[in-house]
Order: sequence, then structure tokens, then C-alpha cells
Amino acid sequence: MSKLMKSLLIWLFLLPIFAITLFPFYVMATTAIRPQTEVFDQSWLPTRFAWENFVEMWTAVGFGRALANSLYISTLATALTLIIAIPAGYALSRYRFAGRTGFRRFLLISQMLSPIVLVLGLFRVLVLLNALNDAHVVALLYAGFNTAFAVWMLESYFSTIPRDLEMASWMEGASGFTTARKVFLPLAMPAICVTALFTFVNSWNEFVLALTLLRSEENYTLPIQILAIVSGRFSVDWHLVMAAALCATLPVAILFAWMQRYMLRGLTAGAVK
Amino acid sequence: MRISSNLNPYLLIAPGLLVTGIIILWPLVQLGQLSVSEVNRFGQVIGQGGAENYVKVFADPELYASSFRTLIWTLGVVLGTLLLALPISLALNEEFYGRGVARVLVMLPWAISLAMLAIVGRWALNGDSGTLNNLLQMLEITQTDIAWLARAETAFPMQILLGIVATLPFTVTIFLGGLSSIPTDIYEAAQVEGANKLQTFRRITLPLMRPFVNIAVVLNTIYVFNSFPIIWATTQGGPANSTDILVTYLYKLAFRFGRVGEAAVLSLIMFVILLIFTIIYVRLAMNEEN
Repeated sequence: MSKLMKSLLIWLFLLPIFAITLFPFYVMATTAIRPQTEVFDQSWLPTRFAWENFVEMWTAVGFGRALANSLYISTLATALTLIIAIPAGYALSRYRFAGRTGFRRFLLISQMLSPIVLVLGLFRVLVLLNALNDAHVVALLYAGFNTAFAVWMLESYFSTIPRDLEMASWMEGASGFTTARKVFLPLAMPAICVTALFTFVNSWNEFVLALTLLRSEENYTLPIQILAIVSGRFSVDWHLVMAAALCATLPVAILFAWMQRYMLRGLTAGAVK
Repeated sequence: MRISSNLNPYLLIAPGLLVTGIIILWPLVQLGQLSVSEVNRFGQVIGQGGAENYVKVFADPELYASSFRTLIWTLGVVLGTLLLALPISLALNEEFYGRGVARVLVMLPWAISLAMLAIVGRWALNGDSGTLNNLLQMLEITQTDIAWLARAETAFPMQILLGIVATLPFTVTIFLGGLSSIPTDIYEAAQVEGANKLQTFRRITLPLMRPFVNIAVVLNTIYVFNSFPIIWATTQGGPANSTDILVTYLYKLAFRFGRVGEAAVLSLIMFVILLIFTIIYVRLAMNEEN
């Protein structure tokens, strides 16, 4: 069988699958560009592309503020995660110490625990601390829930960086900290960037903690804001909601398409060690 | 002499341990206290409850109904994903024109947050000319609008389908990693021995893929069992709790119905179930390592 023939057959088999995986994007895109009067029409294409939907949704959905909140919380969460996870990943990849396995087990459990199981407890703790509805607290929680994954991912990359350079630096008399900062970190930069992107996307998409712990609309992140527009209203402007959903999703989709080849390492690294 | 730096590994892991530890343990302690307290509708502790909350939870018929649905939901999504992911991964592992594009197209749903996917689903499955109804009518498969989300019989299968769409990319990624780890010379040897395609698949590919399938199944079981956004953002477990799974029921108990003590008990039960899943996972992962 020629390669061309084989390619055709494989594409034929995959087409129904793509119909399913692309359906959400199809729905978002085809609704977002319809003029308001044609949203419910049975037609393959609208009579014109209603680009004004994207302008209108900005205010109608409250997109701007929610976008700013999502950006702020996700950026802060990413920074906090890196501050926590880089030293831990470095320790796991460079040192053998008592409790190392215990620490790994603990990370695994923290990874398996979805926030939903803890959300009532977290809510109570934040009530006690008078820290409900605080974007910074939510960012800190995101950092905590992202730590395990970030540490595994960083460790698996760090372990591929040879130690010779660090040893040379120690022998020259540089301190451990200076060596880590000046010799190791520059080499680890690609891994750190990928981990940062992951954490960012995870925080960007997080739902249950944001839904529960952010109590007023001025603090809502994008998913919560869009859900608030959709639920509890008699009539929903779906063309605007889909325009907003598309704008909230596309940047992440593009990032993902690019990052997907890096994903497996972090996903399986924690698993098999 | 062993050359080493003067950094202390315990200091390096301390921030991670501290932040994650507090975020997990403090809420757990709270949940434990709540579960044995008498808590009023507004979430205030008004006295000792003893085992009362535990008794109430286990006497609640909704617990069993939503546990059963959790089982169907988890099995449906995990097995459905597995059945789709295996052939897809095998196809994507072949050499063919446009493989890079095909891989991205399969991975794309990963990029949509579950909440956003559910909101899209809510519109697509809308009873008044939602996208699916319009598509089906334009293709002349159905004649009238179907209110997919208004009844559990149609809503729940659709939610499972959304769950499969969301779980597929992760699973395919794991399987592709597994397939690429199988050395090609085994296949060449089998070919020399005269084995046909089906034989090589059954005798080589499947057994070597086993550990990856196991890990994907356990991980997916944990994620799907915990998955809250799809059901919450499509139906909120409704109509009349008929699409509730444990996590959505737990959320309603805690934040809608004001039955905080019972919600704490249910959280602890789910914590124990997850711990058991995790132990199974660690066992499997360790087996694979040896």
C-alpha cells in the first residue's frame, strides 16, 4: 500500500473523530460571527459576518474586567508556583536526602486531591481568616494546587542537565546559591518557561475555587463571568457569549497546540518515579 | 571526597511543603471538625453533633442516587475515552501525510477549559434552535427541536459525551508516549517471522501498551470522578437533582442547601475514596518501574 493510499485511509478514519473534537470550536466560531437576528437561524452561513459582536461583547459580557482579573490571578499564581517549585525540583534532582520519597508521595497525594474535595474546608478557613473574595488568596491556592505538577515537570528536565558545570563552579569556590543562580538557572530556562505556561493555563481555566471563593463580580475570572452571564437570565445573547468564549479560548488553544509535545514529560514523570 | 554545594535540600523543599501542606491539612482539619458538629443553615457551628451528620448522610437517598450516577458517569467517560483513544493513537502513530496537523486537531479540546466547554454545550444543546438541533434538522436527521438538557435521559449521555471530548486528548497523549517507547526492531523481527498485522497487534502492541493503559485508566478515573465543571455548568445537577454526581451534590449540600455538616462528611468520604485510588495508582506506577 502506498503512503498516499494509507494517508487517505487514516484521514478517512479520523474525520468522524475530528467532527467531535472540533465541534466546540465550530459552535463558538459559527455563533460568534452571526448577527443577532440570525442566531437561531437554520443556515450554514450567516448573510454577513457580524464582527461587531466582538466589540459589543466587551461591555455586554464585562469581558475587559474579567480578562484583567484572569490575567492578574494567573500571572501571580504562576510566579508563586515557580518560586516554590524551582527550589523543590532542584533539590529532588540534585540531592539524595532522607524523606525524599516521602516528599514525592506527599506531592502525589496533593496532585490527586481535586480542589472540589477541599473547597468547603478552604471556604471555612478563609472565613476564619477574613480572606474571602481576595484575588491574592486565590492565586496562592492555585500555586499550592499546581506545585506537584510543576515540581515533577521541572525535576524531570533538571535531571537531564549535566552536573559537571555546577561541580566546576563549586570547585572554583562559588557558593551553592551562586552556582544555582548563575550556572544552573540559565540552562534550565526552557524547562522553566514550559512549566510556567502550564501553570498559567491551569490557573486560567480553573473553575471551582474561583466560583466559590470570589464572591463579587468585580473579582470574577473569565469562566465565572461568562457562566454568570449564561445562568440565571431569561434570555441569553448567545452570539455575544460565544464571541467571549472564543476570545477566552483561542489564545490558550494556540499555546496548547505549540506546547503539546512537552506535556507528556511532566504527566508521566510524576507517575513513574 | 564528595563535592557538593552547601545548599540544604530541606530548605529548598520547605516552601513547597509548607504551602501545599497548609492548603491541604488545614481544610481537612476544618472538615473533620464540621463533620462532628451541629451546624446551622448559615454555616455557624451551634453545638456538638457527634455522629449525627454521618447518620444523616448515609440515610439520604440522594447519596445513593448520585453515587450510582457517579459510577455511570465515571465508567462512561473512562471506558468511552479508552475505546476511542486506542484506535486514534494507533492511527496517529503511523507515518502518514499531515500527521502533525492530525495530532493537533485531536489535541485541541484540551485547550478549552471544562467550564467553557460546558457553556458551549449548554448553547449547542439548547432546546430552542441550539446548534445541534439546527445541524440535525439541516441534515434532515430530525424534524423538531429536542430540549437535550431538560431531561436526565438526554442530558446525562450528552454530559458523558462532553466528558469524553475533554478526556480524549490527555489519554491519546499518554498512549502516543507509550507507542513511541516500543522499539521498532520488535516489529521487524515479527515481520521476518511472518506474523500478520493482527498477530503483531495482539502479541506485541497490546501487551507492551498495558502499563500505559493502566495508568491512563486510573488517572482518568480520578480526574473524572472529581470532575465538577461539566455537569455544574450545563445543568447544575438538575432538573431536580436528576443529573447530580457526588461532587455536584456535595457542592449543593455545602453552598445551596445549607447542610454544611453533611457536606463535610461527604467531603471526607470522597477524600478517603481518592486516597484509595491514589494508592492503586502508586502500586501500578511502581510495578511499571520494576
